[in-house]
Amino acid sequence: MAPWKFFRDAGACPAALVFAVAGFSLPMVAGAGTYDLTVDRVTIDTGGFSREGIGYNGTSPGPELRFREGETVTINVTNNLDVPTSIHWHGLILPYRQDGVPTISFDGIAPGETFTYSFPIVQAGTYWYHSHSPFQEPDGAYGAIVIEPKDREPFRYDREYVVQLTDAHPHSGHRIMRNLKSMPDYYNRQQQTLGDFLKDARRDGVEATLADRQDWGSMRMMKTDIEDLQGFTALVNGRSAEQNWTGLFKPGERVRLRFINSSAMTYFDIRIPGLRMTVVNADGNNVQPVTVDEFRIAVAETYDVIVHPKEDRAYTVFAASMGRSGYARATLAPRDGMEAEVPEMGAPPLLTMADMGMAHGMDHGAMTTGDGMKGMDHSGHAMPPPAGSSPGMPGMDHSAHAMPMTGDATAPSDSFYAPGSGLLPVAADGGKFLSYADLKAQKPLYPLRPATREIELRLTGNMERYVWTINGKKYEEEEEIRLTYGERVRFRFVNETMMTHPMHLHGMWSILDTGAGKWNPVKHVISVAPGTTVYMETEVDAPGKWAFHCHLAYHAASGMFRRIVVEGGPSTGMVGTTGEGG
Amino acid sequence: MNRKIGFLAAALAVTAVSFPAVAAAQSHGGHGTGHGMASGQPGQPGQPGEVKRTIDIAIGDNYFEPENIEVKPGETVRFRIENRGAFVHEFNIGTPALHAEHQKEMQMMVDHGVLMPDRINHQAMQGGGHGMNHDIPNSILLEPGKTGEIIWRFGSGGEPEIACNVPGHYDSGMSIRVMMGH
Repeated sequence: MAPWKFFRDAGACPAALVFAVAGFSLPMVAGAGTYDLTVDRVTIDTGGFSREGIGYNGTSPGPELRFREGETVTINVTNNLDVPTSIHWHGLILPYRQDGVPTISFDGIAPGETFTYSFPIVQAGTYWYHSHSPFQEPDGAYGAIVIEPKDREPFRYDREYVVQLTDAHPHSGHRIMRNLKSMPDYYNRQQQTLGDFLKDARRDGVEATLADRQDWGSMRMMKTDIEDLQGFTALVNGRSAEQNWTGLFKPGERVRLRFINSSAMTYFDIRIPGLRMTVVNADGNNVQPVTVDEFRIAVAETYDVIVHPKEDRAYTVFAASMGRSGYARATLAPRDGMEAEVPEMGAPPLLTMADMGMAHGMDHGAMTTGDGMKGMDHSGHAMPPPAGSSPGMPGMDHSAHAMPMTGDATAPSDSFYAPGSGLLPVAADGGKFLSYADLKAQKPLYPLRPATREIELRLTGNMERYVWTINGKKYEEEEEIRLTYGERVRFRFVNETMMTHPMHLHGMWSILDTGAGKWNPVKHVISVAPGTTVYMETEVDAPGKWAFHCHLAYHAASGMFRRIVVEGGPSTGMVGTTGEGG
Repeated sequence: MNRKIGFLAAALAVTAVSFPAVAAAQSHGGHGTGHGMASGQPGQPGQPGEVKRTIDIAIGDNYFEPENIEVKPGETVRFRIENRGAFVHEFNIGTPALHAEHQKEMQMMVDHGVLMPDRINHQAMQGGGHGMNHDIPNSILLEPGKTGEIIWRFGSGGEPEIACNVPGHYDSGMSIRVMMGH
């Protein structure tokens, strides 16, 4: 059998099923190479609330775009809004003029205008598209992209579904931004109350409790500052938990689920009680398969998993938000109308002093700068939390203590979280929770070589004023980052805030340093947890101007954003790089 | 002795060179279940003299070619296996239930640094102590570029399935469906 034929068959069937079963918009057919999208005012109806939003071809999410690796696509985008718009092809490698970021890649698409994108498809996997104009994506302007590979996949499945998550909110994105600016805890419903104080005082004593509250107050943060934006309704493929998006399977089939987190602000912890999930792809790139019971998906990431349901029963796909203020739910079932138990979300986590960056000097990477990275093995990366993990561990450096991975969760630990972090995920039903350290490239895109230089990006902010910054500076206050074509840059993210930031570089890949050397996974979003330092490297192979930002919509909009300029290399017709802000 | 350590040693013995695996398999021929071989096998190691048919198996990352084969009850087949991939792969004749058990052992090999994505850490494997004379005649573990052979006499029923039990591989579809002809 021709390698591509299998994939083709696998792809064709579910597309029809999605349409038939869920009333999901009809995926476009690959091969034609020309696609038409309209940007429209649509109604977002979660069952709980109904509001005006933005969608494509009359729906939110927009139609699933199916491309084939190797084809050149032409996409005509017609703006039916009364404000400018844009579409960014998230994770796609393309000429910078096609990247869809107003003021950086192009001028945007004016009301009534049709803009034609055209670019070659040079990769395969699961991606998505969304507006890069202010607050349109949180209002519903997003959709899925599936690219079928030229060669056979390193795995096998009988059918596939896109599972696209989002955090629909009854307020418009503009209104949310205004509210956050005027009162940063406007949407935080989990603040500690007098009752919490009395409870803690009984447990810890009044003095200790007062001191604790004072510590937190002086940092202008709260233990419950995990989600800036609560009060959302989590959706799967545009459907709320009650509307229950359902994917059908025949018992014994392997099903590929392409999870995409298109939320404005919300991370999710995803599990399917009764099924283990084999992660085969992250951010569009295949990874060496790793079987887990649960995984966390950062905003704007994608993970493809294969599940193998053998029983004639329904399974719940359960995605609890990281701060446990809401959940998405969908169903896999042999027949329509079946459903399985929906689990409890569990108690919301509380941040600890470790998440406040009180353990400064922590550096799980143990990486020296520049050269000397070859063959380095600090891959343990799964370290037990320090005994007692008391708050405040100044100068702690656990970087050298790489422990062998145990592959189970008997001692939950993950060096991509600060030791003692309240955010450390644990599989709700027991078993293995995916860590970044488990992600290994199936087929590395680039040979391993030492980075030519390092750039430090401190992720900073002031919660009180709802200002989010990089190295203390907002987008409009700082110059662009200049890179040279052909270099390999090592970025050092130091998260000095108490929030988790999904950092997204446009146009070039982000090679996450997990310590796996040539198998370091290749991503487009790197999530940086509070109180941690994380490294990524980028082969600077795409000339032009690119966006680089936190993908939390209201963080990007309030300053955590940079422009990258890649100088040298093949001509792109790049024009002047000055005078284009914000 | 610790069955798992025995297993690790066995995997090393098989991997070092492919032919001893065949020899070992032959030496167990006719015993039904040999040392290290779990019960419930869909058949038993076969004798070279019984071989009527050779099936060539090419291993890629992470798949077998072909992915379906048909055998007759009681037939003895010589499998000639070549790992053309960049990762270590296993060719294991068993059943879904046996594979599930074996996957736990393979996970242990990974956890102990014995089984790396693209090679076997022979030193770590030897660190497990114990003799190298154990073997799993229904399985062969191949590093990239290596070839091997297994002669297997299928039984008359059961639920035979060939799998690569390197962690994650079977779960993501790396198996051969064995259909019983008549």
